[in-house]
Parts: sequence; structure tokens; C-alpha cells
Amino acid sequence: MIELRGVTLTYPNGTRALDDIDLEIGKADFVFLVGHSGTGKSSLLKLLYREAIPDAGEVIVDGIRVDKLRRGKVAALRRNIGVVFQDFKLLTHKTVWENVAFALQVTGARSKDVMRQVPRVLDLVGLSHKSRMLPSELSGGEQQRAAIARALVNNPKILLCDEPTGNLDPSNTTEIIELLQRINLKGTTVLVATHNQAVVDRMRRRVVRLENGKILHDDERGYYFRGLGQSPVLSG
Amino acid sequence: MQFTAIGTVAVTIVMLGTFLYVRETLTTFGQGILKQIEIAVYLDDNATDAQAKQLAASLAADGRITSARYVPRAQGLQEMRGRLGRDFDTSLLTANPLPNAFRVSVSNVDNVPDVAASIGKLPGVAKVDYAADTVTKLLRAADVIGRVGMAMIGLLVLTAAIIIANTIRLTVFARRREIAIMQLVGATNMYIRMPFIAEGIIAGVVGAIVAIAVLAVAEMQIVPKIASTLQFVPFHVNELQLAGELLGVGAAVGLVSSWLSVGRYLRA
Repeated sequence: MIELRGVTLTYPNGTRALDDIDLEIGKADFVFLVGHSGTGKSSLLKLLYREAIPDAGEVIVDGIRVDKLRRGKVAALRRNIGVVFQDFKLLTHKTVWENVAFALQVTGARSKDVMRQVPRVLDLVGLSHKSRMLPSELSGGEQQRAAIARALVNNPKILLCDEPTGNLDPSNTTEIIELLQRINLKGTTVLVATHNQAVVDRMRRRVVRLENGKILHDDERGYYFRGLGQSPVLSG
Repeated sequence: MQFTAIGTVAVTIVMLGTFLYVRETLTTFGQGILKQIEIAVYLDDNATDAQAKQLAASLAADGRITSARYVPRAQGLQEMRGRLGRDFDTSLLTANPLPNAFRVSVSNVDNVPDVAASIGKLPGVAKVDYAADTVTKLLRAADVIGRVGMAMIGLLVLTAAIIIANTIRLTVFARRREIAIMQLVGATNMYIRMPFIAEGIIAGVVGAIVAIAVLAVAEMQIVPKIASTLQFVPFHVNELQLAGELLGVGAAVGLVSSWLSVGRYLRA
């Protein structure tokens, strides 16, 4: 589903965000992308939805060479990829319903498709009863669920999450991660960039650790810090 | 800021409309005069009847000439009296100063100098006179003034376009978050552009409508007063066509400036 081959990305100041990265993520995989701030996690995600273009290498998403995509085709790519951010990026003057519907409307969807799809995803994220509320009237966790609903409304094959629990308290964090798991169980490939060690260690899914722009390790059923997870206290 | 954009477009189009109105009026006036231009061919005082008939035949044979009307001196005096009116008191004249003449019309006013030159060489001709030279110089001057005026109008149109572009750019900047989210969820650039393009066109069209209204009022108030003074100038401008052209200019300025303004942001 996702392939990076020899990908290198350099920041404007000259430092390497990603250095000759090779990575493969399969259909319906759930992958944590971990590492301290500035290590290239967000940059890697940006390559996948064409917010950035690599200096070298190939970025392939669902069979499409994203790095070579013409500007006019980027919109179509993004309709097949859901993206969720730490700051939710909801439109503050629109209700939950309108925020989710917006993602369908920009694709030219008909009203009846909107009326069918929006309730479906709101039900999935558990926000049906709050569809008429504005983002300012929701908790952090609820806003993130609304953002996830918007990311899912076009039935994307891939869901990219850039620090989705960064602004949330522990209980909301748990809710969001469980929601992402449910989404993944339905067949969506989920890639979560995070520095939330507790979440990563609890879930024991594939963990790809980035450091200084390189992949340090890539473990199935991994821990945030390889080696620490083998402590009897944490491996419980 | 919209009002600034609309106001600038309105001012620009008022000036453009005034300029085009005046130019069309002057052009129509000048062309009308040129069509009426006659070459006055004055015969020698001692030209014989045979020479006069020979001259008439030569004029008739010239394909460039559409008509050649013989005007005996007495008739010439009558016609002059009729043109100049009561101010011209012919009772003061002891003798008719006018010679026998031909009034010659040509099919193409550009041929007047050549036709006049060739008539001047014919026997029995004392003098050939035509006023087209003066009118042509006037039209040439009007053309120069027209070009300078259009250049100035062009600068004003550019100013209006820049102001609309800046207005749109500020609107785009104010809505940059919404635009970023639209791009994120897969909206095409055209989908994102359209509201801003519409805003630019509306600013241009509304400005043009305001300008047309101002010009219409000015025409109703001012033109009758000028027309009564300059009765020989025909004030027959196709107002509907002019209004349509001005609307088109307003819409085009709004469209082009907003398209370029949003486009720069989307490419950045």
C-alpha cells in the first residue's frame, strides 16, 4: 500500500529530514512512527499526501508514484487519503456535520451521498448526537473524533495521523487510539506518528523508529524504545 | 476593502467611458465633415465657354470623381448668402467677387489631394481649394490625443486591477486556514478559486454599473447643454453598446486580477 524507496528529504536550512529511507507498509497495516520531535515523522507523512516532494527516491502510495504526480492530480490523491492532525484543523464556524460534509462536497458529491455518508462516519466515531455543535462546544477528544470522521468520509484506503493525541488527556487519548484500531479492523491502513510512549507500548503493534532521518528499527509488535519493552513491568 | 476596489473600478470606467464617448463623437463628426468635403475649382475670369465645357468633360471622365456641379458666380453668391445668413450684407458689394466654379465630390476622401492636383493642371482653372487638409490634420491630432488618452486609461485600468488583486489577496489570506483544509481534503484548485474569482468579477461588474449610472446621469445633464452650443456636432453615440463594452472591461479586470491573485497563492 505504501512504499518509500531511497527517499531523502532536506529541510530548507539544509539539514536532512529523511536520509535514504526504505519503508514498506501493507494493506490494513497499523504502524506507529515514533521518534523525538524533529526526527522526520511529520515530514514522512507529508510525502505521502504530497505536501512535500522528496529530493531523491520514490514515494508510492496505492501503486501511484506520488513524488511524480502532476499538481492537478494531487487533489484526487488526497481524496483517497485521510489525514488527522494534532490541532484537529476543523473549520471553527461550521458544525460537526458541516465539517464532515465539507470533505464530501469539495469532491462534488451529490446531496443524497452526503446525507448517507455523513451519518455513517459520525456514528462510527460516536458523534451522531453532537452533529449540530460547533468545534468550540466540543472537548478535545470530541474534536479529534470529528476530524477523524472528516478524514474517513470519503472511504480512504489510508489514514495518516500526525500526533493525533498530542493535545488530549489520557482518557481521550485512549478513546482515539481505540477508534483508530476499530477503523483499522475494517481494512484501512493506519499510520500514526506519535511520541506517546504509553500508547505505543500498550498496543504492541508495528513500530518504526526514526532517528536523525534514518530508520533505527522496524519491529512487528514493537515497543516505543526497543529493549525497554522486555522489562517484566512493561511487558505485562 | 471591497468598496475600495469597486470605487476604483468605477472611477476608472467613468474616465474610460467619457473618453470613449468623446472619441466616438469626434470621429463621427470628423468623418461626416470629410464626406461633405467638396473641391472648389475656380475658373479663370477670362475662361471661355468651350474651356468650361472641356473642363466639365474632363471632370466627368475622372473615375475618382463622383460629381462635378457647375456653379455660376451669381449662384455662388446666393449660396454664400444662404450659408452665412443675415450677418453677411451683400448690399455693400459693388461687384460679385466670386468666379465661376465647379463643386467636385470624390468617392474616397483620401484621393482629394491627388484629384485637386490633377484638376489644377487643367486649362481654364485658376485655383483649386479644399478644406479636407485642415480636417485631416484635426483628425490626426485627435488620433494622437486618443492614443495618449488610451495610455492613461490603460494605467488607470492597471491600477484598478492591482487594487482588486490586493483585495482578493487579503481575502485569501484571511481565509488561508479554510483554504488549507480544502486542499487537505482534496478540493481542486478550481473549486478553491471559484469563490474568489466570483468576488473579483462582482467587484468589477458592480464598479462598472456604478460608472455607467454616473455616465448616464452626466449624459442627460451635460450633453444637451453642449449640443445646443455645438449644433453642428452630432451627439449620436450607441449608449447600449458603450455600456456593454464598459461592463465587459469591468468584468475582465475583476476576472483577470482575481485569477492571477489567487493563482499565485495556490502555487506558493
